[in-house]
Amino acid sequence: MDTIIIDGLSFALPLFIMAIGGIYSEKSGITNLALEGFQGFGAFIGAMTAVLIAHASGTDVQNLFYVALLFAMIGGMGFSVIHAVLSIKFKANQVISGVVINILALALTTFLTTQINAIVFGAASDKFRLGVTERFTIEGLANIPVIGAIFTDVYTFEVIIIVIAIIAWYVLYKTKFGLRLRASGENPHSVDTAGVDVAKIRFSAVLISGLLSGLAGMCFAYSISAQFSSGIYMGYGFLAIAALIFGNWRILPTLVACLLFGFAKSGGTFIAQAMALPSSFTDLFMILPYVLTLLLLIFFSKSNRAPRALGEIYDKGKR
Amino acid sequence: MSKDKKKKSLSYRLLWPIKNEKWQPITIPVASILVSFIAAAIVILLLGKNPLQAFYNLFQGSGILPKATYAGYKSMLTDFLSLLDAMTPLVFASLAVAVALRAGLFNIGVSGQMLVSGFLATIIVGYSGLDAVVAKPLVLLIGIIAGGLMGGLVGWLKYRFNIHEVVTTIMLNYIAQYVISFFIHMYYIDPVSRQSKYISEAARLTLVNFEFANLKMDIPLGFILAIAVAVFIKFLLDKTVVGFEIKAVGSNRDAAKYTGIKVGSNMILAMIISGGLAGLAGVTYYLGDFASIQPKVLTNIGFDSIAVALLGNSHPIGIIFSSFLISIIDQGSTYMSSQAGIRQEIASVIIGLILLFSACGAYVKHKVSRLKEKEVDRKDSES
Repeated sequence: MDTIIIDGLSFALPLFIMAIGGIYSEKSGITNLALEGFQGFGAFIGAMTAVLIAHASGTDVQNLFYVALLFAMIGGMGFSVIHAVLSIKFKANQVISGVVINILALALTTFLTTQINAIVFGAASDKFRLGVTERFTIEGLANIPVIGAIFTDVYTFEVIIIVIAIIAWYVLYKTKFGLRLRASGENPHSVDTAGVDVAKIRFSAVLISGLLSGLAGMCFAYSISAQFSSGIYMGYGFLAIAALIFGNWRILPTLVACLLFGFAKSGGTFIAQAMALPSSFTDLFMILPYVLTLLLLIFFSKSNRAPRALGEIYDKGKR
Repeated sequence: MSKDKKKKSLSYRLLWPIKNEKWQPITIPVASILVSFIAAAIVILLLGKNPLQAFYNLFQGSGILPKATYAGYKSMLTDFLSLLDAMTPLVFASLAVAVALRAGLFNIGVSGQMLVSGFLATIIVGYSGLDAVVAKPLVLLIGIIAGGLMGGLVGWLKYRFNIHEVVTTIMLNYIAQYVISFFIHMYYIDPVSRQSKYISEAARLTLVNFEFANLKMDIPLGFILAIAVAVFIKFLLDKTVVGFEIKAVGSNRDAAKYTGIKVGSNMILAMIISGGLAGLAGVTYYLGDFASIQPKVLTNIGFDSIAVALLGNSHPIGIIFSSFLISIIDQGSTYMSSQAGIRQEIASVIIGLILLFSACGAYVKHKVSRLKEKEVDRKDSES
């Protein structure tokens, strides 16, 4: 039971922060299928920085987690500029732009990783080894039955994510910027009439989604996969999108969806291990989160509604 | 003043094909392909390699240009046929994406639909020992039905329960991937290759090592069908009531509803067609070149096809050309890598760049129409 909660949380929270990024972008009216690309590229920049610094200074890569995290956020944000420029300034189809960015990110990072490994480390490898970042346990709280597992073996990044998520929730629902952002996705013309630059708001929303996705990517790289490779593009970005649609583009229900994914995933692995079934049965339990999602959506989708102006190119002249 | 005028006319002459709206659907993709090759050339130069040689090797590797030497029973023709073999599932998959897009739906589930169709065809026909005359058409039929049912399910869930098709297709991708991996591991595993057991030659949609004129080549049987289907889809979309209704639903759902078009059934129909095409992609992929299925892996074709469809403007004939181009880069990259000493991964970077620049096409169109409006305005004010 404890491992289900521990592993589930360490998967659900990065997914959640990425989904929040998606909510920001989509609430402002920009369809964002590029989360996966942002996540991967951000993780690449973070991992590359960490590995290069470790190589130059001789420190252990595992201790450079915060440096990597910072650069991953910058990298993810930097890469998201492409999506912002294409879909806001160049008025490209946002779905197309998102898909293209995913493909480009995978191609670029795979190419650059092998290239850097060959040049700097003289090794033919397509991954950066990172290891797993430190975990901590809050004594006392950890002894509470069941709930105690939440405070056991916590990755530091989980705390960071929770703090950022609370800030993100506050900004989106309680500030003027958040109000304008949400209005840009519902009725951009009225925002424009109020004298606010819709393009600027949308631009910053996309950048925020890039920043948060980069953060998520780095957390996955330093925990589940313990390395950066093309394996970071495992469909987590699309899973985050599924979570936010499931959560009806609202932050708290999205958290529930992410926790559901996380616990179903770790639960499936756990059941297969506990029943001592052959490893092929693990595959069968792995479908749990996805089947569960589909079943729940059958009951909860009726009232789902995307932001009204989502995916629409905003043209000032058009009325 | 006159110098200024001259400059304008030169740039005008260079840009007229892009300015001419009639030619834009062709000139803009071509221009973006050229620009991306220039960008790739710069990258290759930075790596200290000769870009012209690299591109030449790329075309050699894919069978468009002759190589210096060939192994026994091989020639440019054999390379070219392998190119068509690899291109076939990509054409089907891109058509699948395009048909859904025309109905305003986004099918990210092509990979999953491909896997399910390929798997069912493999276990029903591939291991059955049926004669080729029965087996090959049956494989295609299973592909269409399995893919169509899966696509139809997505459409129905959207219509009946308002479940976003992006979520459904992603979930179904995962479910298909894991469930089929389970069955392959339990019943159909080849202990040596760790993949599903090879299917019978009779069920294969590629004739392997077909001997002709002292050459051994792989003949992709699905290729002709892919071209025929592309033409058929073009006809369906442009000339039939069904196609018109699908497009009407795609361009404005509310307006379509108002004019009495059944939105729900058209959405489901579009997804059935899309899934059926994805099924054809699946059987030509898994029962063509490969003849076996790797467990737990979704093919990238399902995702690449989104980009290929968009590069081809979601137009069936455009898709044939864009899949041809992307396949050349894909197929030629191994040879380029060995000849020019450039990493194979640069090929996918080139593809990424092509797609990136073609995504800017809408901007070019927008700019051109803006310029024209301004010109008209100026003429109006002058007169």
